Amino acid sequence: MTSRVRRRTLLAFIGPSVLALALIGIGPLIFAIWTSLHFYNLTKLKQVHFTGLENYVTVLTDPIFWDAMGRTFLLLGIALPVQIALGLGTALLLHQPGLGFLKTLTRLALVLPMATTYAVVGLLGQVMFNVKYGVVNQLLGFLGFDQINWIGDPDNAFIAVVFWDVWQWTPFVALVLLAGLTTVPGEIEEAARLETKSWWKVLRYVQLPFLVPGLVAVLILRTADTLKLFDMVFTMTRGGPGNATEFISLLIQRVGFRAFDQGLASAQAIILLVITIVLSQIYIRVFYKEVR
Amino acid sequence: MGLRSFVSMGALALALTAGSAARVSAWSLEEAAKPYAGTTVDVVFLLRPGYEAAEQMIPEFTEKTGININITKLPYENALGEQVRDFVAGGDLDIALIDLVWIGNFAENGWIVPAETFTSNPDLADPDLDMEDFFPLVLNAFGGWGDTIYGLPFDNYSGLLFYNKCMLQDAGFDGPPQTWTDVMEVYGPALTKDGKYAYALQSKRNETQSADSFARFLWPFGGSFLDDTFHSNLMSPESQAGLKFRQDLMKYMPDGIVSYDHAEAVNALAQGDVAFITEWSAFYSTLKNPDTSQITDCLGIAPEPTGPAGRKPALGGFSLAVASQADEKEQAAAWLFIQWVTSKANAETYLRKGGVPARQSVYEKPGIAEEFDFVPALVESWQEGVPEFRPRFAEWPEITEIVQEWGTKMMLGEVTTEEGAQEIGDRMEAVLDKAGYYDGSKPLLQ
Repeated sequence: MTSRVRRRTLLAFIGPSVLALALIGIGPLIFAIWTSLHFYNLTKLKQVHFTGLENYVTVLTDPIFWDAMGRTFLLLGIALPVQIALGLGTALLLHQPGLGFLKTLTRLALVLPMATTYAVVGLLGQVMFNVKYGVVNQLLGFLGFDQINWIGDPDNAFIAVVFWDVWQWTPFVALVLLAGLTTVPGEIEEAARLETKSWWKVLRYVQLPFLVPGLVAVLILRTADTLKLFDMVFTMTRGGPGNATEFISLLIQRVGFRAFDQGLASAQAIILLVITIVLSQIYIRVFYKEVR
Repeated sequence: MGLRSFVSMGALALALTAGSAARVSAWSLEEAAKPYAGTTVDVVFLLRPGYEAAEQMIPEFTEKTGININITKLPYENALGEQVRDFVAGGDLDIALIDLVWIGNFAENGWIVPAETFTSNPDLADPDLDMEDFFPLVLNAFGGWGDTIYGLPFDNYSGLLFYNKCMLQDAGFDGPPQTWTDVMEVYGPALTKDGKYAYALQSKRNETQSADSFARFLWPFGGSFLDDTFHSNLMSPESQAGLKFRQDLMKYMPDGIVSYDHAEAVNALAQGDVAFITEWSAFYSTLKNPDTSQITDCLGIAPEPTGPAGRKPALGGFSLAVASQADEKEQAAAWLFIQWVTSKANAETYLRKGGVPARQSVYEKPGIAEEFDFVPALVESWQEGVPEFRPRFAEWPEITEIVQEWGTKMMLGEVTTEEGAQEIGDRMEAVLDKAGYYDGSKPLLQ
């Protein structure tokens, strides 16, 4: 009797969440799998028909898809280490004793980039990196440098996206790592500092073990965020010039909502999902072992 | 009996004609709209001067008719996607805003109602509608598909040459370039100096790349997207000559021209950074407004330069058509609005508020050509335009994405004009093949 009541109670608590997940997560996923197996163009709905794995073959043999995927991982490979390095540096600085008010102010300021909507960040980027009127080139001019064509040059546009991503998400890394540093027992850290003057040894052998869970969270969240990065790049460069900043989510949006080929876009999205799941498994197997 | 029947028929015909004449003479917007007072009509507008002009006129329409116009404002790039999703989902839109390259798509999907449904209804058709007053090219290209007219031209563009008279005079020129060869050989070298450039060609990777940049250099050089059999014509000597010309001309354009959209190009001229641009007539009001332009006194307007194959200027613009998903009342109210906002009677008001009407009569009025100095160039351009400047079939949204990608790559030097054209051609033909143009299941309409 008791266990039956418990089960009901559990169901009452969990049921709505499962239902919501089924409606907003599982349902669309099943529909995406269905469309990926069909010719499904929004402007040709009279011609919808089953095509089997044709869309998947098209995606897997399309160099544009793999270029976009490569570009996305290049962004991840450049931006994430920079964010971790700068975030760790910031966290260590804020972990130093003293300057209480200034540190509180800095912690508050760190939240601002994260709280800014992605699309707004992109629009700000479009204005700030404008070759003629942008503040970035004005500042470079004051320092005696020539104007840089940020958004009109493929390499510079990519750098601008990396810069903006680092600007927006380094504070997140810093705050997560700062939280990790506060979990290091004070007496252990103090004892370590008495033992050695090397900050590196303190970091490596005392603080780092406490930072690993936070770093794993950062790795997983930032990887997922980068794979679905869309708004900021769309508003700043629209994937251009050429396809210098066409990351995988921009490509999927272009195929699905500008060429209206929902079948092909769904196949791209499903393949991206598979890649994300594989990556998550790798992270969990490699790093969670470390955490344990 | 025979004579009596004949007389009766004659009397009946006379009575009908008299009745019809009385109704025609009595037609008024207020009376026609009475059954639809309180109806709300949903429409998408763009963030452009022609729409601001219409928006200013709408209170008068609502006051006269009691019909409310609910506007959703969108940037151009979102307008097609929003409308397609709305029509597919059976949404709220009662009027379709149709760029000329969307007309085939909208018509083939049955999302829009032929205008004849309303023009043949004496209760709804304004006797002064006068379809023949629209520029024929504009009416057929913007609002027609096959032999059917769906939409009435609303926001109407032709490519024009906007130039800075003062910069040209300082460089010793009496007037604007007449040919693209002049641009390349005379004006370009003379005007590109001291941090200023001769020309800005908006080439951002969106519809701007396809319409304003890529297509602009095909047609005047004798090229085109497709040949008569609907196969790629981009590798023809004429198309290649145009694309190579564009590539060479980039030395007289500002750096990063592939990131220039309309706003950047118009701004470059408005701030005196470039000597001329080829832009849509719709941007006249921006360049003429002292709040947004520093060259209002120096602004000159001419038709686009000619190439070896003639002028063939860029052609673009929008029509408004009644959406088939709207119910009967909404359709009637929507038609009354479309008919009113594009009418002969309102054309001058629309023009004065910043729009560009497609009514021939308004440009014939005394003083209009002098007051709005873009008018002579516009009228001349509309005589020489090509309706299939960009193919208007349902496959254009897919094809334009290909053109945008590879057209930009050409400009960046990532591929040669031959490689890029070959790639666009192959991909374009694959889309057309899939659509059924090569096996005869679809007529070769563009």
